[in-house]
Amino acid sequence: MSALETAPIEEFVAELVARALRQGADAAQARAVSNRYFEIDFNNRGVELLRSTENETTTLTLFCAGKRGAANLNGRAANEIEAALLAARAAADAGLADAANDVAEAVSEPASAHGPQAPDREAMAAGVDAFNATLAADHPLVRSRDCVYSFSDAETAFANSKGVRQKERRGGYNFAGMITARDRGRTSSINYSSAGSRAPFASLFDAGSMRRLVRDAPRLLEPAPVPEKFIGDVIIAPDCLATVVGALASALSGGQLFTGATPYKNRKGERIASPLFSLSNRPRDAGFALGADFDAWGVPTQNLDIVRDGVLDAFLIDLFFARKLGVAQTAGAHNFSVKPGEKSLDDIIASTKRGILFSRYSGGAPNSNLDFSGIAKNSFYVEDGRVLHALDETMVSGNFQELLQNIHAVSREYVNFGNSSYPFVAASGVTISSK
Amino acid sequence: MLERLAAFAEKFTGPAELRWHANHSVAAAIRKGALVENSQSRASGISARVFENGVFGFAAFAEEDDAALTKAMETARSDAGFMKGRSATPRELARPQAIGEGRFDYRSPRPAATPKERVEILKVLDEAARAKYPELVNVDLSLSAHTSEKALATFEGARAYSYVPRAVLSVRMSLEANDGLVELYDARGGFGEIQDQDFSLAALSSWLDGLHEELRRKAEGGQCEAGEHDVVLDSDLAGILAHEAIGHTCEGDLVLAGSIAGDNLGARVASEKITLGDYAGRGPDGKSTFAIHVDDEGAVCRDVTIIENGVLRGFLHSRRTAAELGAEVTGNARAFSFLDEPLVRMRNTAILPGKDRLEDMIAAVDHGYYFKRATNGQADLTSEFMFGVSLGYEIRKGKLARGVRDTTISGTAFDMLKTVTHVGDSFKWSGAGNWCGKKQPIAVGTGGPAIKCRIRVGGRA
Repeated sequence: MSALETAPIEEFVAELVARALRQGADAAQARAVSNRYFEIDFNNRGVELLRSTENETTTLTLFCAGKRGAANLNGRAANEIEAALLAARAAADAGLADAANDVAEAVSEPASAHGPQAPDREAMAAGVDAFNATLAADHPLVRSRDCVYSFSDAETAFANSKGVRQKERRGGYNFAGMITARDRGRTSSINYSSAGSRAPFASLFDAGSMRRLVRDAPRLLEPAPVPEKFIGDVIIAPDCLATVVGALASALSGGQLFTGATPYKNRKGERIASPLFSLSNRPRDAGFALGADFDAWGVPTQNLDIVRDGVLDAFLIDLFFARKLGVAQTAGAHNFSVKPGEKSLDDIIASTKRGILFSRYSGGAPNSNLDFSGIAKNSFYVEDGRVLHALDETMVSGNFQELLQNIHAVSREYVNFGNSSYPFVAASGVTISSK
Repeated sequence: MLERLAAFAEKFTGPAELRWHANHSVAAAIRKGALVENSQSRASGISARVFENGVFGFAAFAEEDDAALTKAMETARSDAGFMKGRSATPRELARPQAIGEGRFDYRSPRPAATPKERVEILKVLDEAARAKYPELVNVDLSLSAHTSEKALATFEGARAYSYVPRAVLSVRMSLEANDGLVELYDARGGFGEIQDQDFSLAALSSWLDGLHEELRRKAEGGQCEAGEHDVVLDSDLAGILAHEAIGHTCEGDLVLAGSIAGDNLGARVASEKITLGDYAGRGPDGKSTFAIHVDDEGAVCRDVTIIENGVLRGFLHSRRTAAELGAEVTGNARAFSFLDEPLVRMRNTAILPGKDRLEDMIAAVDHGYYFKRATNGQADLTSEFMFGVSLGYEIRKGKLARGVRDTTISGTAFDMLKTVTHVGDSFKWSGAGNWCGKKQPIAVGTGGPAIKCRIRVGGRA
C-alpha cells in the first residue's frame, strides 16, 4: 500500500496538485470528499434494509495554456490516480482557451468540524420503532414507504496551485419519508418531506413537515375538483416553496446571467418581488444542519441577502462565471432562507377569498421565463376563509416572476429543513382548474 | 473480477449477492461559445447484500481487494442483524425462474473518441448554430456518455458480466419572444458509445434547422387553454406515458405500498387498442436505448406484459416483491452504482404499435393539441401522472395550427387510457434515452407509437 493511499485527505489533495504541476500543468486544483454513510430503510410494516457505505470521490482540475479539463475518480488505487491525472491533462489540452480559466486566489481558513462523527445507531433504531408505533396507534389509515433515516459524515479537503488549502468535516442525520393514506380500496396521493439534523431527531414526526403531512393524509382520501376554472390565490406550503426558490435561484445563477436567458439580467437593485419577500443564502449559519465553509473553487462561503424586502440584492455567481461577467463572486449556494412574516397561517387562510392551500407541485420544470404549470398535489380548496376539501386532479398555471410580485402574506410559522427554511407564502394571480 | 466474486459468493449460506460495479462517464458542454464542462469520470467499487431474518444488509466500499470483499460481506451481515425482529416482511425471497449467467458486452469495436474529438463535436455544432441562427439569445450544447459496467455473483449461482453504454448529444436554444424567453431542447444519440454515433454537422444540420424552426413557431405561438382536451401524443410522449402513468404504478414495491394497480389486476384499465409492457434485452425490436439481460439480484430478465389489449396483466418484481405478492420474479431489480442496493425499476417500457396513421389522428381532432416532446414526469399511487411538454401545436378542425408554449399534461392513467381511440402504426424509442429517479437515478428506455386520447392540459388561457 502506497503512502498516498493512507495519507490524510488534505495531504492527498495537495499531492495531486503537486503531481499535476510536475506533469506540466500551469495550474491545478483538487477537491476530495470522504464519506461514511449509514441508513435504515423502512416502511410502516417494519425495516427493509440497512446500508453502510464508505467512499471517497476526488475531482482534479488542470489548467494548461488557458484551457481547462477535469477528471473524477473514487478511491485511491495508484493506477486510478495515474489514469485520472492523464485524463485531466488530456481534457485540458483538448479544451478551449478562456481568460476565465484559472484557479482561485483566496484566504486559507483553519479546518472546521461540524456535527457528530459517528451515528448513534441505537437512537436511530429507537426513532424508527417509535415512528412506526405512533403511526400504527394514532394514524391507522396512513402508510409509509421509502422512509430513509440516515447518517453521513463527510470530510472535504481542497488544494490549489496558488496555495489555497481548505478542509471541513460535517456529520449529521437526515430523515426522508413518503406517506399515503389508504382506506377501503381508496388511496391518496403520495406526499413526502425530508430534513437534516445534527443530532438524532427527538421524533421523526419533527423532521420537516412530516407531522402536518401525516395529520392531513386521511383528508386526501376524499378529494373533489374546484367548482370551475378561476384565477385565485395560492397559499404555498414550505415544502412547495422550495420549487419557487429553486426556480428563482436558477434564474439568478451565473450560468443563466452569462447566457442572457434570464429575466433578471441587469436588474440588481430593482424590485423583483413583493416587499414582504426576503430571501437569503446562509451557508455558514449554524442554525442549519447542512452548509459549506468553502465552495468548489476553494473560496470561503459567505452568508448574504439575495432578495431584501423584494429588492434584488445579489446574484449567485461562481468563480468562472464571475470572471466571464466581470463581477464579484458569491461563493456557494446553500441553506436558502425565506424570512418569516407576522401573520399566522390561520389568519392567512381566514383572509383568503378563493384559492388553494398548495402543498406540493408536480409539474413541468419552469422554463427560463419562469412560466409554470403543474398539478397541485396533496392540496386543499379554500373559499371564504375556510379550507373546504382536498383537491382532485387540479392544475395550477402561472409565472413565478409574477407570483413573487403578487405575494400578499408570509406566515410567521416556518419549517427548517436542515438545508433551507421556508414559511407559508400567499400570492394571487394563479390559474386554477380541474377537469 | 467475476471469478473473484464467484469464489467469495461460495462462502454465503443464504440469499446474497456480490457486485463489482463501475460507472464510466464523460461530459462536455458549451454555453454561448464557452466550454463550461470538460471532464471524464470513473466511480467503482464492490458491494455485498445479504438477506437474513427478513432484513437486507447492504455494504459497499470503494476498495476492490479481497479484504474489502470480506469487510463488505461481514458488514452487510452485521447490518442485517442489527434490527432483527423488526422486519417489514419476515418471508423468504422468491427464487428466480432462471439464474443469470453470461457476458453481455456492448463495448464499441471502434477506438474511443478522444477528448479533442469530443470537444470538436461541440465546437463545430456550436459555431454553426450561432452563425446560422444569430437571433438566438443562447445555444447550449452538451455531450455526455455513460457506461454501466458490472460483474455479479450470487449465492444462488448467478454469474454475469455486462457493459452497457449510452451517448447523448443535446441542444437547448433560447429565443426572445414578445412576452419573454422561449426555449426548446432536444437530444440525439442513444445506445452505444460516442464513437458509435454520428454527431457530425453533416448528419445533424437538418435536425438543428428543424429545432430552430420549431422554436420560432413556439415563440410565435401562445399559451394552451387549461382544461381537458382531445390530444395526439407523439411517440416521445407515449413512451413517457407508458413509463410514468403505468410503469411506476405497476412496480411491485408501489403495489405493496398501496398503488391502485393492486386492486385492478385482471380488470380492464385501458382501451382494447392498448398493449403495454416492460421489456428485457433491448426491447421487442432490439433497438432500445438501453439493454439488460440479468438483473442485480441475478435473475434472468424476462418481458412483462403489463397491459394486454386493455386488461391489466402483470407487475414488475424483485425477489422480495414477487414473494410478497405471490408472483414470479421478473428481473426488475436494478442498482445505479456500487453504492446502491437493487430496487424495483423499469427497463424498456413501451406501448406496442397499432394500425392508425398519425395524419388520421390529427384529422380526427376538432379542437385540441398535438404534443411532440416531453420534459420531466411524475407518477402517483393513484395512477395520477403528469409530465411537462416543451413542444406542441394546436389542432383546429383537424389541422395543425399555431405552436404552443411549455405546458404540463396530466390525468389518471386508468381513466385516461380508456379514452384512447387511435394507436399509431409507427413505433419509436423516445429521444436518446431517458433517466428515471426513484431514490437512485437509473437509465431506462421508453417508447411507443403516437396515440390519440383525452387528457388534462395546463395553461393560462
